[in-house]
Amino acid sequence: MADNRRHAAVLGLTFLLLLLLPQLATALSKPDLLTLGSQIAIYAIAAASLDLLIGYAGMSSFGHAGFFGLGGYVVGILAFHAADNSLFLGIVPGLTDAWLVWPIAIAVTALAALAIGALSLRTSGVSFIMMTLAFAEMLYFLFVSLKTYGGDDGLGFRRRNALPWIAPRDDVAFYYVCLAVLAIFLIAMRHLVQSRFGMVLQGLRQNERRMAAIGVAPYRVRLAAFTIASAGAGLAGALNANLLRYVSPDSLHWTMSGDLMVMVVLGGAGSLYGAVLGAAAFVGLQSVLAQWTEHWMIAMGPILVCTVLVARRGIWGLLAGRR
Amino acid sequence: MTLLAEQLLNGLQLGVMLFLLAAGLTLVFGIMGLINLAHGSLYMVGAFASAWVQQRTGSFALAVLAGLAAAGGTGIAVEALVLRRLYAREHMDQVLATFGLIMFFNELMAILFGRQPLMASIPGFLSGSVELIPGVPYPVFRLAIILVGVAVAIGLYYLISHTRIGMLVRAGATHRDMVRALGVDIVLLYTFVFGLGAVLAGFAGLLTGPLLSVQVGMGDRILITTFVVIVIGGVGSVRGALVGAMLVGMVDTLTRAFLPGMLRGVMPASSADALGAGLSSMAIFILMAIVLLVRPRGLFPAHG
Amino acid sequence: MTALLQVRGLTKRFGGLLASGGLDLDVHQGEIHALIGPNGAGKTTAIGQLAGEIRPDAGTIRFDGQEIGHLPVHRRVALGLTRSFQVTSILPAFTALENLMLVHLVREGHPFRFLRSARQDLGLQRQARDSLAGLGLLARADIPAEDLAHGEQRQLELAMALATGAKLLLLDEPMAGLGPTESLAMTEILRRLKRQLTILLVEHDMDAVFALADRVTVLVSGQVIASGPPDAIRADPAVREAYLGAEAG
Repeated sequence: MADNRRHAAVLGLTFLLLLLLPQLATALSKPDLLTLGSQIAIYAIAAASLDLLIGYAGMSSFGHAGFFGLGGYVVGILAFHAADNSLFLGIVPGLTDAWLVWPIAIAVTALAALAIGALSLRTSGVSFIMMTLAFAEMLYFLFVSLKTYGGDDGLGFRRRNALPWIAPRDDVAFYYVCLAVLAIFLIAMRHLVQSRFGMVLQGLRQNERRMAAIGVAPYRVRLAAFTIASAGAGLAGALNANLLRYVSPDSLHWTMSGDLMVMVVLGGAGSLYGAVLGAAAFVGLQSVLAQWTEHWMIAMGPILVCTVLVARRGIWGLLAGRR
Repeated sequence: MTLLAEQLLNGLQLGVMLFLLAAGLTLVFGIMGLINLAHGSLYMVGAFASAWVQQRTGSFALAVLAGLAAAGGTGIAVEALVLRRLYAREHMDQVLATFGLIMFFNELMAILFGRQPLMASIPGFLSGSVELIPGVPYPVFRLAIILVGVAVAIGLYYLISHTRIGMLVRAGATHRDMVRALGVDIVLLYTFVFGLGAVLAGFAGLLTGPLLSVQVGMGDRILITTFVVIVIGGVGSVRGALVGAMLVGMVDTLTRAFLPGMLRGVMPASSADALGAGLSSMAIFILMAIVLLVRPRGLFPAHG
Repeated sequence: MTALLQVRGLTKRFGGLLASGGLDLDVHQGEIHALIGPNGAGKTTAIGQLAGEIRPDAGTIRFDGQEIGHLPVHRRVALGLTRSFQVTSILPAFTALENLMLVHLVREGHPFRFLRSARQDLGLQRQARDSLAGLGLLARADIPAEDLAHGEQRQLELAMALATGAKLLLLDEPMAGLGPTESLAMTEILRRLKRQLTILLVEHDMDAVFALADRVTVLVSGQVIASGPPDAIRADPAVREAYLGAEAG
């Protein structure tokens, strides 16, 4: 019970802080805080979706950024075609409405994940790590080579996707949109891991042979989890493209996959909420350390190593005790 | 025809380079069960140390020694301080901790040497080119890399198949627990294997220096290619690493050389070049995916 | 009487080693059929092939009138064929109750329900408690499986196998690692299961085998050297020489 109360306290405080962030930014006259907050919320969605794989399913995907970037490119490419009234592949017109673009981004990423997962899941262990990495790298080089969409330089666009009642240039409103999406996403994920499907998934992490021997088809369950998690990354990527009004191949690079894994583990794998703390810590440390020295990674690296070596349950474990 | 011959030699040279990197990485995985992303950092450390010493002293021999020593020393220190604690951990933990090491080393090099690329130069006695095949002038330095690489491969083969320590290495790769049970000083064996891998990685780095620029992050790109090599070859197998390195070296070089030209036949030159470059970068990953789908454990799986 | 499980010419080779050399086996409805043989005789490989984890090189497996040799593990479980493992195989981080809830939810056929909480599902909880009660584990329901005593873990694994609704259980050394008292308890449990369902039992504990089995098949080097009632097997000179003699001597 004490643990539960601590949970609620940590969760409540975090959420309150996030809710009041725009006011805080104004009070401290640090408008950058707002962008930082949106970035945290977006990375938190991507990290929480990765946590479903790493923390619950025991699937070490090293290609999560591939889906994150893909979601972003769906937004960017549709905006590009909307701007000059051209057609994508000669058939699809450009789009700028969030209620259309975001679901398309999710659907495209899910389809890609279904195909990539179907192949990658035929391997396991190191080979699975490398397969997911390989497919993400293929996506990376695909977008690097598409000169129409900016190639190496990436693709910028003028306006965020249109949302009802919200002015496209209102950064505070966009921050709250990100926060709301994060909250809904976390609630959905929480339900997912406690559902029948979630129990089966956690069973598979613990003992695959046993699960098969009680009648589970491991491949299909894992493929479903891979697709759901990747679609979550696609959603985060779509939001990220909107935040920056820009997408680039960097968002699909393998080091981005590494960063997402760092957030999961820093925050505490297998807790979902840890992903929020991990994203906050990563983005926060990055900006704090970057003010102090341009060489912020010289500190980030050892922090990460120490987290893995000694504080395995991450920040969430530190703050909230047992999950 | 002459272009093809030249590109084949380039492919061989890249393959040799990849083998130097892959041999250590695959042994470390096979024997210690460790996925070491920081392997690329050792390559970078070797390249930086060597380029810097060469700039300061002008001596190629000193530069080589410095590169090998820096990479080997760094490798042994990292093994003792960090990696040793990771052998028994899940792959995920290993990936993360060594990812942290990459961040650290990239930044360390940036602080020590700055973000501007260092230029290493080809020593006088290895500059110029020769006509191995009449009509195909080929740089002596690249040729030297191929020869040195072949020599290292033969040396490694001898070490692993004909010496006592090689026997332990082989046994360690297939029967990890048995070697431990035999009362072999496992810590010493691990340090040796890791040091050897680090020296080879540093060697690859310092040889690459004069061909490409020496800069922060140079290990990241080649690291992923090296992983493709060892996964194709079968993780843990030195023979697999050799075959994988040659395959990847050839596929990468040949697609880069010829794919854009082929695409120009069907589309405008500028898009053909961009798409060709993209597709040839993808080629090795496609190769790896195909190999893994047919043989999920690679071409020469080390563990039974 | 036709056999519930009918195996013909089952063959599996690992490199140069012949693990199953044209195995024939009939397991009849309601019997406990023991599969015995010295170490390396190919018993566990045979179980693996029957359960669907190992693909045989040749041979047919008919279960309940249907050829199942090509089916994956989970499809065989759905038909009523499941196994236990020589090394205890449970879900260590879940409680005993959760271990069984998982079996029941898979059996109900809805592993792809994404939103409703499974842990709070009262129907699942009740079924899981019934299964635990069946093996006397009800008092241990809320203990994480990894913290149970070894004997309890073996019982939990058996409870899980039973809860799949199996018609035929493939038990791979259920007594492995048990002390004498625990072995007796397990023998008692299996005796009670007799006639409820059919069991193919691989076991080294000869007291248990001869106490339980209706029929015994003896495997040596992947081949059946004898098959019949326990008394006949005990008296069979070939068996005595190849197996019992070596074991007793």
